[in-house]
Amino acid sequence: MSLGELLPVLLQLERRPGSLRAQVESALLRFGEPLRWAITAVDQSADGGSLLQIEAVVIGAIDPMCSEA
Amino acid sequence: MPTLLVIPTGIGCAVGGFAGDALPAARLLAAASGCLITHPNVMNGAALYWSDPRIHYVEGSSLDRFAAGDLFLQPVRQQRVGLLLDAGIEPELRQRHLQVADGCRATLGLNIGPVVTTDVPLEVSLSLGASGVSWGQLRRPDALLRAGEQLKAAGATAIAVVARFPDDPESEALAAYRQGSGVDALAGAEAVISHLLSRELGLPCAHAPALSPLPLDPDLDPRAAGEELGFTFLPCVLVGLSRAPSLLPADAPASAGASPLAIDAVGAVIAPAAALGGAAVLACAERGIPVIAVDNPCLLNVTAEALGLEVIPAVSYSEAAGLVLALREGIAPAALRRPLPPLSSRP
Repeated sequence: MSLGELLPVLLQLERRPGSLRAQVESALLRFGEPLRWAITAVDQSADGGSLLQIEAVVIGAIDPMCSEA
Repeated sequence: MPTLLVIPTGIGCAVGGFAGDALPAARLLAAASGCLITHPNVMNGAALYWSDPRIHYVEGSSLDRFAAGDLFLQPVRQQRVGLLLDAGIEPELRQRHLQVADGCRATLGLNIGPVVTTDVPLEVSLSLGASGVSWGQLRRPDALLRAGEQLKAAGATAIAVVARFPDDPESEALAAYRQGSGVDALAGAEAVISHLLSRELGLPCAHAPALSPLPLDPDLDPRAAGEELGFTFLPCVLVGLSRAPSLLPADAPASAGASPLAIDAVGAVIAPAAALGGAAVLACAERGIPVIAVDNPCLLNVTAEALGLEVIPAVSYSEAAGLVLALREGIAPAALRRPLPPLSSRP
């Protein structure tokens, strides 16, 4: 089984309508496969929107140049 | 009425932020609901544990996938618990863990084995996130998975993993934790280890840290005392896993026998009122499952109001148990509160 590195991620995410969980997981996918995450803070902006702070650990992609053939 | 109890690990909850100190609440909620699904942070008191057939012990990432509808839970009479030991554990400490496993076989009748040691040390490190909650890493996740695959191939149906954690007996954070404040600094790394193993192998998994014994602390908080009774944190993990439900992918073909438990059957989820931003709670809320938000102070302030969730507030786990009983009996929780506003008719 090949496995990338475990990477910590700290992310600020502007909340949009729709599933909150899907938004967070989709945003984390840019860094790797989400392993563990939580919304750890929410800031309300002046225009009534919300800025979410996400802390996570993701499984980073294996660098294809380093993977076994 | 199947009910989920979530108390996130490593966020310093007043109830559940220490050594299995949410166990009394879990026992009460199990009695109120008749079926409680919860995770190791709630149940693990190191040398202390409680086994209740109404409580299903499900590791956090599996709980998230269960809540998302990706997994079913299949209750079993007994799991065969493989023991995965970090090669970084010193010989004497390793022997202590093996003796705990033998003790659980001899005294409790658990089915434990085989034992596999990783081919290299896992190299666990601890850290704190921006919010102050505990996180952590292991440098060799590949070695963890290789050992887990060996255990699965050898017939283990659940895995107890013991990793060597860094000792830091002089740290202020440890002193604060032992005296009843601050966060459990080990918890974040423990969750990463068990999440990775359970997710990749599809087996129930839980973790116990291997640490050198600490000097006596006369001011020890009762909530942390469970971790100071023995040489290991392993007994609760072995007991919890011994009857943990098996994990069935939701898209797997149905098998004969008892029906597995699915998220559709869950009637309530209970979580700390200021820590509602986790995957399991959000998945339940999105499904319309009632969320009971309990006043359980912690480091976070991710409330129902901040997230725009509708919840049923409870000032304690005792009140939450009453609310679960009400939901189970078909009593609208609002009918139990005063004032009770009249219905308004729509124009």
